[in-house]
Amino acid sequence: MQYTLLITGSPYQSKACHTALRFIRAALAKSPNSIKGVFFYEDAVLIGNHLAQPPRDEINLTQAWQDIAQQHHVPLYLCIAAAVRRGIVSDSESKRYELPHHTLAEHFQLEGLGTLVDMMNSTHKIIQFR
Amino acid sequence: MKRTLIHLNSSPYDSLACKEGLDLALVLATFEQAVDLCVSGAALALLTLEQNPTAEQGKNLHKLLDGLEFYDIENLFIEANAAIQPDTLWQSVQSLDSHQWQAMFSHYQQVFRF
Repeated sequence: MQYTLLITGSPYQSKACHTALRFIRAALAKSPNSIKGVFFYEDAVLIGNHLAQPPRDEINLTQAWQDIAQQHHVPLYLCIAAAVRRGIVSDSESKRYELPHHTLAEHFQLEGLGTLVDMMNSTHKIIQFR
Repeated sequence: MKRTLIHLNSSPYDSLACKEGLDLALVLATFEQAVDLCVSGAALALLTLEQNPTAEQGKNLHKLLDGLEFYDIENLFIEANAAIQPDTLWQSVQSLDSHQWQAMFSHYQQVFRF
């Protein structure tokens, strides 16, 4: 069984990103190929802001997801429209919008919703965390 | 082909959830995926006729409804409720009784809530 995760809950206003992290760790521990990818949509795209600095005595959720991507080669996609409207821009998008900085954290990629549709059609189950 | 239900439950004026749920429905339909909509709770405000929000209040998402048929999104379900006045709602909704509403969710391989 291979899963795609759709995360829509804000990392600040919900536990969606936290719960999904626990799920993905458990799934990968059981089966290394069990996750096709993770798609962040709505306020969940805020996870990909590399400027966010959580207090040192709290979990660094962005780093935790980056560790998953790096260790298990799981792609982390942010919906490009949802991300750009919230100020999460890649290097190429920052040039397109003539912005002085980019804010997309390493190991996250901006993709359109069409990528989510592809993932829906190529995995057994998609699970939403909201 | 997987059938997808987009369940809108958030106010169109309270957050972007309703808009982003509709966006996903339109993208699914653009990719020729079978997609239906159902609306409940605060999202029912989306269906109310004669909306004229200002820019500060938010986008007029109601206007999108008339375009759904061009994306081949033909079903928009609500649960019949005495508190809803049918004559104040967008005309193409399909009203389901409680039993049909509950059964509806198991007719889809994928249900996403916004």
